[in-house]
Amino acid sequence: MCVGLSARVVSVEDGTAVIDAEGAKRSVSADLLEDLEPGDYVMVHAGVAIAKITDDDENESKEVLESI
Amino acid sequence: MEKTVTLAHGAGGKQTSELIDTIFKAHFSNPELTADDAAVLDIGGGKIAFTTDGFIVSPFEFPGGNIGKLSICGTVNDLSCMGAKPQYLSCAFVIEEGFPMDKLEEIAAAMEKTAAEAGVKIVAGDTKVAGRGQVDKIFITTTGIGKISENVRTSGAYAKPGDAVIVTGDIGRHGCTILLARDEFGIDAKVTSDCAPLWANVEKMLGVTSDIHVIRDATRGGVGTVLYEIAGQSGTGILLDQEKIPVEPEVRGVCGMLGLEPLYLACEGRLVVVVPKDKADAVLDALRGCKYSENAAVIGEITEENAGKVVMKTAVGTKTLLPQPGGELLPRIC
Amino acid sequence: MTETIEKAKSTITGYNGKKLRIMEVCGTHTHEMFRLGIRGLLPESIDLISGPGCPVCVTPVGYIDEAVMLALEKNAVICTFGDLIRVPGTEMSLAGARSRGGDIRPVYSPLDAVEIAKNEPDRQIVFLAVGFETTTPSACIAVKKARKLGLDNFSILAANKTMPNAYKALMSSVDAYLYPGHVNAITGTAVCEEMKKLGVSGVVAGFTASELITAIAVIIEKSKTGEPFFVNCYPRVVTAEGNIPAQKLMAEVMEPCDSEWRGLGVIPMSGMKLRDEYSELDARIKFDLPKISGKANPACRCGDVLQGKCKPSDCKVFGKVCTPQHPVGACMVSTEGACSAYYQYGGAELK
Repeated sequence: MCVGLSARVVSVEDGTAVIDAEGAKRSVSADLLEDLEPGDYVMVHAGVAIAKITDDDENESKEVLESI
Repeated sequence: MEKTVTLAHGAGGKQTSELIDTIFKAHFSNPELTADDAAVLDIGGGKIAFTTDGFIVSPFEFPGGNIGKLSICGTVNDLSCMGAKPQYLSCAFVIEEGFPMDKLEEIAAAMEKTAAEAGVKIVAGDTKVAGRGQVDKIFITTTGIGKISENVRTSGAYAKPGDAVIVTGDIGRHGCTILLARDEFGIDAKVTSDCAPLWANVEKMLGVTSDIHVIRDATRGGVGTVLYEIAGQSGTGILLDQEKIPVEPEVRGVCGMLGLEPLYLACEGRLVVVVPKDKADAVLDALRGCKYSENAAVIGEITEENAGKVVMKTAVGTKTLLPQPGGELLPRIC
Repeated sequence: MTETIEKAKSTITGYNGKKLRIMEVCGTHTHEMFRLGIRGLLPESIDLISGPGCPVCVTPVGYIDEAVMLALEKNAVICTFGDLIRVPGTEMSLAGARSRGGDIRPVYSPLDAVEIAKNEPDRQIVFLAVGFETTTPSACIAVKKARKLGLDNFSILAANKTMPNAYKALMSSVDAYLYPGHVNAITGTAVCEEMKKLGVSGVVAGFTASELITAIAVIIEKSKTGEPFFVNCYPRVVTAEGNIPAQKLMAEVMEPCDSEWRGLGVIPMSGMKLRDEYSELDARIKFDLPKISGKANPACRCGDVLQGKCKPSDCKVFGKVCTPQHPVGACMVSTEGACSAYYQYGGAELK
């Protein structure tokens, strides 16, 4: 379920963001995220940016593992 | 319920081979009809390769080529895969009423240019015009023959355990280009088709060694489908190194968006080559010196175990099966 | 891989404590566990069960029948996620409807279906709204946009589902849930804390190799205490409160309803339907669809598979009558379904 794509925001205008994943670009809805800015990373699902994210899973894993 | 032909039967995977086996093979079977890219025929005075291919690509022009260029490359490459120098082609056009004349001219010009590059002559043709709506703009079928040099014997059946598996460049670009050109998913990416005639590349490899076991062009169904065909024909397994498979970032990005696997996207200018391990470096060097195969890479090896299967070595050090291709490519979202 | 991940990996491969039943409730997890080779790391004492988290798989037969009827009898253009096209209905799949002249179009986003409705005012466009909390907001945005544009040729066929009651329905089959990261990105983690209070452990997991390894290693470490636990292992995407605008939007446009899950039956209040205020965008009302209850194949054991009561290979039709090319049951239809993943990736004893 829920194939997510992590992508960088290129531009935001009127509730629509253009996102870039390794050179593949698409317009997606930015309705669900406030204060989105170019350069932010987002998780995209079915044409909608659903979460603002950081783009570093290995660092995340390190922090999670060290915290338990 | 009545059985009908579906798009999945034309996608190049399992259903396509089922259709061929149950209908066409059942009626046409003979010793020369094989699962390889072209038939090898002995007509006295040496062996020739003979093949035919139909092209129905939509849209008919796309970044990196058009249906005309594609129709030459497809048949030239099928002949080249048997180690045959492509010599003569025929082409048959089915054109929809109302098709723009200048576009037809562009298509013919692309065919002329590509044929010249590949060193083949177009020596026969046929033209049919169908009423509006009876075909989708333009369909082209090309048929070709080529001469096979002595000592050259390639077939999917000849892969042997220990052989190296080479791919002649980054994969999936043609399929990705067409997907984007149809503009059904609103994605924008700089991807151009890899469509190219590859006889010069094959000739160069054969100059290094005639001991090349398999050459296949990874068209419909992509590299994954070809690998499964080779595993099936030769009764061996194939072990791929997930991290060594060359994929352009943009192609990866598009695949990520749509949940697709690059190994199943069509290429129109990429060969899968299987050679004895001790010849791999020399063949790779030869390929890297040629136009269209500068980024050739060894992506895996032929194994005795897991016969008939394609297995991936993963980044976490385990092995996993590459799923069998099957059905039409559909984006996976939810 | 970093040193930390290597260590986490050896925590997994070296585990030989008491049997742990981990259920991943996300089809993308099922898929990635195979594709990235994570399954190959698991020792015998870890049982990874593929739960009901593939929305395509749990969509009932009758829903496909409704869509086929809309395409063939009501002449509507069906816009759908590609995943649904091959799912068998009682008579035929949407691919079957297409080969009989139905206009079936795969789309990337429900918003694309609204765009099609705008560009083709003479056709009725129906979007097949399936999916969990991750996907439902996109359908709600589409509904609101269609209303804003005043489109009278757009509607949705809703079969959206929500996870919490499914977690409760299946809790006796699991020791720890691997929660679906992108659902939690929307809903937040309150439901996971609630499950912990009910005595069921779990972690929210991401989708990369290092995230999946981390999540499983955390389950192993935390299980040693014997106490129920919850850990968010996907903090770069998931926050405790989730996406509040998305939650508000869903509550505004849709309301909970009882819902049938293919293979599991009706789970109370586990579905979402359009509120009355949006009924003109509800394809069932617009086209006056009759109540359709599709017939599933009785030999299929998908329900047991989804509950972890049996493995796909224990089902009599698995791999014989039921294959990805000719799926019989729910779990074989999508590439993310448990049976399909087992079949395609061999489930397999690879050498």
